[in-house]
Amino acid sequence: MSASAITPQIRTPITVKAKIKHKQKQKSMSFSLSTTPITQASFSDPFVLQLAETLEDSLSPSVSLQKLRDSSSESLLSTSWPSRKDEPFRFTDTSFIRHSQIIPIIKPPQLDYSPSINEDTLLPNLVIADGFVLNSMSNLSNLPDGVYVGAHDMTVVYVPAGVKVENPIHLKYVSVEGGEEGSKKLPVSNPRVFVVVEEGGEVGIIEEFVSKEGNDDKYYWANPVLEVVIGKGAKVRHSYVQSQSLNSAHIKWTAVRQEAASTYELVEVSTGGKLSRHNLHVQQLGPDTATELSTFHLSVGDQTQDLHSRLILDHPRGHSQQLHKCIVAHSQGQAVFDGNVKVNRYAQQTDAGQLTRSLLLEPRATVNVKPNLQIIADDVKCSHGAAISDLEETQLFYFLARGIDLETARKALVFSFGAEVIERLPNSFMQKQVESHVKGLLSSTFKGSSN
Amino acid sequence: MGKNGSGKSTFSKVLAGHPDYEVTGGSVVFKGESLLDMEPEERSLAGLFMSFQSPVEIPGVNNIDFLNMAYNARRRKLGLPELGPIEFYAYLFPKLELVNMKSDFLNRNVNEGFSGGERKRNEILQLAVLGAELAILDEIDSGLDIDALQDVAKAVNGMLTPKNAVLMITHYLRLLEFIKPTFIHIMENGRIVKTGDISIAKTLEKEGYKAISAT
Repeated sequence: MSASAITPQIRTPITVKAKIKHKQKQKSMSFSLSTTPITQASFSDPFVLQLAETLEDSLSPSVSLQKLRDSSSESLLSTSWPSRKDEPFRFTDTSFIRHSQIIPIIKPPQLDYSPSINEDTLLPNLVIADGFVLNSMSNLSNLPDGVYVGAHDMTVVYVPAGVKVENPIHLKYVSVEGGEEGSKKLPVSNPRVFVVVEEGGEVGIIEEFVSKEGNDDKYYWANPVLEVVIGKGAKVRHSYVQSQSLNSAHIKWTAVRQEAASTYELVEVSTGGKLSRHNLHVQQLGPDTATELSTFHLSVGDQTQDLHSRLILDHPRGHSQQLHKCIVAHSQGQAVFDGNVKVNRYAQQTDAGQLTRSLLLEPRATVNVKPNLQIIADDVKCSHGAAISDLEETQLFYFLARGIDLETARKALVFSFGAEVIERLPNSFMQKQVESHVKGLLSSTFKGSSN
Repeated sequence: MGKNGSGKSTFSKVLAGHPDYEVTGGSVVFKGESLLDMEPEERSLAGLFMSFQSPVEIPGVNNIDFLNMAYNARRRKLGLPELGPIEFYAYLFPKLELVNMKSDFLNRNVNEGFSGGERKRNEILQLAVLGAELAILDEIDSGLDIDALQDVAKAVNGMLTPKNAVLMITHYLRLLEFIKPTFIHIMENGRIVKTGDISIAKTLEKEGYKAISAT
C-alpha cells in the first residue's frame, strides 16, 4: 500500500523544491492517519500555527520562494505538533521544544572569534553560523573549475559532470545564539544546503555541527536540512558530525536521491543535543546503485539520540549496507532507531543488509530499536539484525587475562564499539577529532560512575 | 595430552580465572600464593599466561594499543614508568621478528580477520611481550602449517629459561618434536592418569588412547 504511494514521486520528474513540499505533505498525512481522534486532523494546531507565523515574520521577502512558502504554509494548516501518539514520535519526546519560547534568528551573528577550521588541512570550507553563511570566514579556493559552492536563498554545492573534487568540502555549522538556563528561550536557526553532483562527479561533504566555543551549555534549536542529488555513476561521501550543546535541540533532515550506478556513503557520529533527531531518507532512482550508511550515536547525559532512516530501493541490483550503533551511558539517556528499508517490486537482485547494535551501560538507560525491512521483490538477499547488550564477557576476559584491569578494559571496549563507525570517517583529521571528543565524553561518564 | 573432552582446556581456563567456571573445591597454589583468591588480571600480573585456543576478535581495538595496555599494566605492577607508543614500539619490534610477524599486524584490530595461524602467532607475540613464569599454551599447534609451527616453536624455545615453565596442550607428536617436553601428562576425566616422557606421545601416535588406558 504505502509502496505504491511512493512510486509517483520517483516516476514524475519533479524539482527539488517541489519534492520537499511533497515530503512534508506525506509526513502530515501519516500524522493524521496515525492519530486516532478524527477531529484533530481537521483542526489546526495553535502551537504549529503560531510557530509558522513567527517563522514567516522573521523571513525577508523573496519573490522566487514565495510560492513554495505559501504552499508550505498551507500544508502546515493540517499538521499538528508531533506527540508520542504518532508512530514516528512514539519514543521521542519533543516537549522540550514545545515548551520553549522559540525565537527565529534573523541576522547573522557578530562573531568575535573564528571557528577553528583545521588550518593544516586547507580543505575548502564554508562557515554557516546560525544558518547564515559567513563568507569572511570561509575559504573556497582550491576548488576545481566549474565547481560552485555558495549561498543565496540556500547554500548550494554544485559539482559538474565528470569532475572529481579531491578535497572534501567542509561545512562548519556553528550555533552562536543561545538562551540561558531557565530563560525558556530557544533561538532557532534553519540552515539549508543543497548538493548536486552531476553524472560521474565525485565529492566529499563534511557537515560538522558545533556550538560556539564556550557555549556548550546554551539552549538553542538547530533545524538543518541537507538535500543531495547524485547523478548517474556519481559518488558522494558524506560525513555528518554532531556535537552540539547538551541543552540544544538538533533536528536534521537528510534527503538523498541517487540515480543509476551512483554511490552514497554516509558516516554519522552524533553525540550532542538534549534532543537530537536525524531523519534520513535515501531513494535509489536507478539500477546498480550503492548506499552505505554507518551511524554512531552516543548519549552520555539526559539526552535522546534518534535516527529515523528510510531507504527505498526500486530498481534491480541495488546494494545497501546499514550499520547503526549506539551507546547509552546515562540512566536518563535514551536512543531511538527506526530503520526502514523498502525493497520494492522491481528491485530484484537487491543486496541489502542492516545491523543495529546498542550498548546500555547504566541501569534504566533506554534504547528503542525498530529495524524494519519491507520486501516485495522475490529475488533478493536481505539481512537484518538487532542486538542490545552490555559488553561481551569473552572480550572483557581477553583483556583481564593479559593483566589489564577491568576499568581500562571496559573503557577500551566501549570506545571500540563506536570506533567501528568512527574509523569509517574518510578524513583522518575528522576521525582524530571525533575520536578524542568521544573519548573525552566517555571518560567523563566513567569518572561519574565510579563516584 | 588427553582425549577430546577430558578436561584439558577447562583446567587451563580455570587456572586463568575464566568467568564461565566456578571452583567449588580444592586449592591452587602459584608461587606460594592461592591462585583462586586472585582476580584474572592479578593472575596474569603474577606471571601466569594462557594462550587461547580460539582467541576472540576485538573490533575497534588496535593490536599495538592492546599490547601496549597489557605491557603497561605489567610495568605499573613492577613500579616502572609506563611506556609511550614510540618507546613501546622500540621494545616491541624485535619481538615481532621472533614470531616472524609483519609490522602491519600491529595496526590491525585484535584478531579481527586474522587467519587461524595469525591468531596463534599473535598469542605467542603477546607471550613474548609480557613474559610469563608459567605459560599455558592451549593447542597452539592447531591450524598451523608447518612453517608457522616451526616459527611458533622457535619462539617458544627462545623464551624458555631455567626460571619459567611452559605447559602445552596438544594432540600431536609433531609439536613435541620441535619443543622438547620434560614430562608428558595424560588427562582423563579431569585427572592426570599417567605421567612419563616423550615415549608416551610416541605410543599414542601409533596406537591411540586405547594403549594408555590399557596399561
